[in-house]
Amino acid sequence: MTQEHQGGGRGWSAARKGVWSRLRFTSLRLRLVVVFGLVALTAAVSASGIAYWLNRESVLTRTQDAVLRAFEQEMQNRAGALPEHPTQDELQRTAGQMANSSQRFTVLLVAENPEGQTVYGSSGGLNGFSLGDVPESLREAVTERQKVTSNNKYPHHLYWQRIVEDDTPYLVAGTKLIGGGTTGYMLKSLGPEAKDLGSLAWSLGIATGLALIGSALLAHAAATTVLKPVQRLGTAARRLGEGKLDTRLRVSGTDELADLSRTFNKAAEALEKRVADMAARDEASRRFVADMSHELRTPLTAITAVTEVLEEELEFEGGGIDPMIQPAVRLVVSETRRLNDLVENLMEVTRFDAGTARLVLDDVDVADQITACIDARAWLDAVELDAARGIHARIDPRRLDVILANLIGNALKHGGSPVRVSVREEPAEDSGMPGGSVVIQVRDHGPGIPEEVLPHVFDRFYKASASRPRSEGSGLGLSIALENAHIHGGEITAANSPEGGAVFTLRLPRDVSAAEDGEKAGDAGDEGAEGDA
Amino acid sequence: MGQNERVPSLLLIEDDDAIRTALELSLTRQGHRVATAASGEDGLKLLREQRPDLIVLDVMLPGIDGFEVCRRIRRTDQLPIILLTARSDDIDVVVGLESGADDYVVKPVQGRVLDARIRAVLRRGERESSDSATFGSLVIDRSAMTVTKNGEDLQLTPTELRLLLELSRRPGQALSRQQLLRLVWEHDYLGDSRLVDACVQRLRAKVEDVPSSPTLIRTVRGVGYRLDPPQ
Repeated sequence: MTQEHQGGGRGWSAARKGVWSRLRFTSLRLRLVVVFGLVALTAAVSASGIAYWLNRESVLTRTQDAVLRAFEQEMQNRAGALPEHPTQDELQRTAGQMANSSQRFTVLLVAENPEGQTVYGSSGGLNGFSLGDVPESLREAVTERQKVTSNNKYPHHLYWQRIVEDDTPYLVAGTKLIGGGTTGYMLKSLGPEAKDLGSLAWSLGIATGLALIGSALLAHAAATTVLKPVQRLGTAARRLGEGKLDTRLRVSGTDELADLSRTFNKAAEALEKRVADMAARDEASRRFVADMSHELRTPLTAITAVTEVLEEELEFEGGGIDPMIQPAVRLVVSETRRLNDLVENLMEVTRFDAGTARLVLDDVDVADQITACIDARAWLDAVELDAARGIHARIDPRRLDVILANLIGNALKHGGSPVRVSVREEPAEDSGMPGGSVVIQVRDHGPGIPEEVLPHVFDRFYKASASRPRSEGSGLGLSIALENAHIHGGEITAANSPEGGAVFTLRLPRDVSAAEDGEKAGDAGDEGAEGDA
Repeated sequence: MGQNERVPSLLLIEDDDAIRTALELSLTRQGHRVATAASGEDGLKLLREQRPDLIVLDVMLPGIDGFEVCRRIRRTDQLPIILLTARSDDIDVVVGLESGADDYVVKPVQGRVLDARIRAVLRRGERESSDSATFGSLVIDRSAMTVTKNGEDLQLTPTELRLLLELSRRPGQALSRQQLLRLVWEHDYLGDSRLVDACVQRLRAKVEDVPSSPTLIRTVRGVGYRLDPPQ
């Protein structure tokens, strides 16, 4: 349950992250939409607000004026005709007549009857319009007698007020007849006007909404016109980063984005040129090393051939060579061999650098190969081999020998005997190599490799310290071993064993041709030979 | 070594003076009779005059190069050729083997290695038993060291002959390239398997009815080659 919950939480947070990153990705778009929306909203709201307000005023004022005028008229015509102290019936009848005017309002007449009692006459309707419906302030204003001055010719005026009852707006007005005792009130529903105004407000709201949607679409379109070139630029930059240096943008228009595209193109061009220059220089120096080692070979071949003659002379009992110069001859012989190895390794390295190294694949028994490698170098006494026969691999035997010779030779030189070599198989799922892999481990019993040297053990000509005596190796051995593993699609790692000593682990795919199908390393000769299979 | 044998005569074709002199010196000390030529043209002329037992041929030659020399020799002669290549670049080796060379050594070569290869190549022509075997229309006469197909003599180089002999000694049994390298080329365990492939190609071209779909020398995937008696 808890787990399930956690899982859900993770999923949700992942989804949120996705949304967040998408929003972030289009943040320019989002910002544009928001700004456009705000602008549209402000404009639409203020325009509709003003329109609504003006409309409302004009509609209400017009209705109100008409009603009030009619009421005034009725008051003068009908109520004015009443006696000063009308009876209840008279009042009632008059009110009914007044309410029958064109404006359809409800009338309430208040007067004193001859007996001095207050009588009311109402036109009825509207749930019985009573004095209680008239706001206090209005009643006061109506009944109050005002001073008659030059400015104010009459002691009573017509007063009005708008009220809202049960969500319906009403117009209430009242006046007192001058010289008569009758006070008249009227109530008129403003419902139809309110409804008109309501629908106006609705239409304005819809218009505002449309304006908002329109602005969002416009913002979207504007963002697209900006973002598309930006996106193109982004794609181009990514391609450039992936090393496709011939990537260029199509420049159209003269705006800032076109400028940016132009700048990008210039930068890409400059970069391409620079990379080409560097590649050419790199190629030239590689060429030089390759040519150099070739050139070295010719004299070295001659020297090697005669050195052997000298060597045989040295070995010859009774010696044909003056004992005084024997050390010199020995030195020449041994150094010639070193020089040979060095040139051989240089050649190998240049082949790897130039990418001309090829695999010559064959099916081999790995244990047999290791035994043969150890045997050929007379290392049998110093190496413990823990390898069962029967582990077959399809690899380049010569290159495997180079790797093994370098790893074991290195272990013997820097570590200490016994060097332990073990072989095991690894299934495809553990090694990540289709068809599985063969893992060969070379462990010595020396002091191990210092931590700071560990990352550099495969570097060319890397010496642990400058003061260290010149070793017998060319300084290329482990680098060449690594290159040989790489060309198989394999790997070599160096580490220190917890029990002491350095451990080099070589991992090679069981079948290189399966691992890199259609790869250039495909053994052309072999393919031809097996054409009938 | 081999005092009782006839001293083999070699032809060394090498354009570089120093290498030629040094190799001549070294090979002579190993007990060979060495004739030298500085160019392919001179070498071909000497070949006709002296009939050597074996040719050591440099690949990089002025004028016609080693491959071309090799091809021209193969048109008429089946004598063993060892290529001396300054480059172990694979294309060179492949082209060299395709042009008909029996073996190759990479410079800078040690005299002893070259000597061992020379002796191994020369041994291939030696007869050992005296029986014969028949594989369909193919008759291998081990005493006369000849191979005939439909009664016609086949021109095989000693290496091709030795390969055929080794395969025919174990009919129906697959031999790995490394085994064949040991048996035929006498190489150590690091022999170049392309030598076998190239030689099988050349051999098929001579003994098979349709070299592209061989019925005698079969490829056994993951192992090597096998000589089958036709059904």
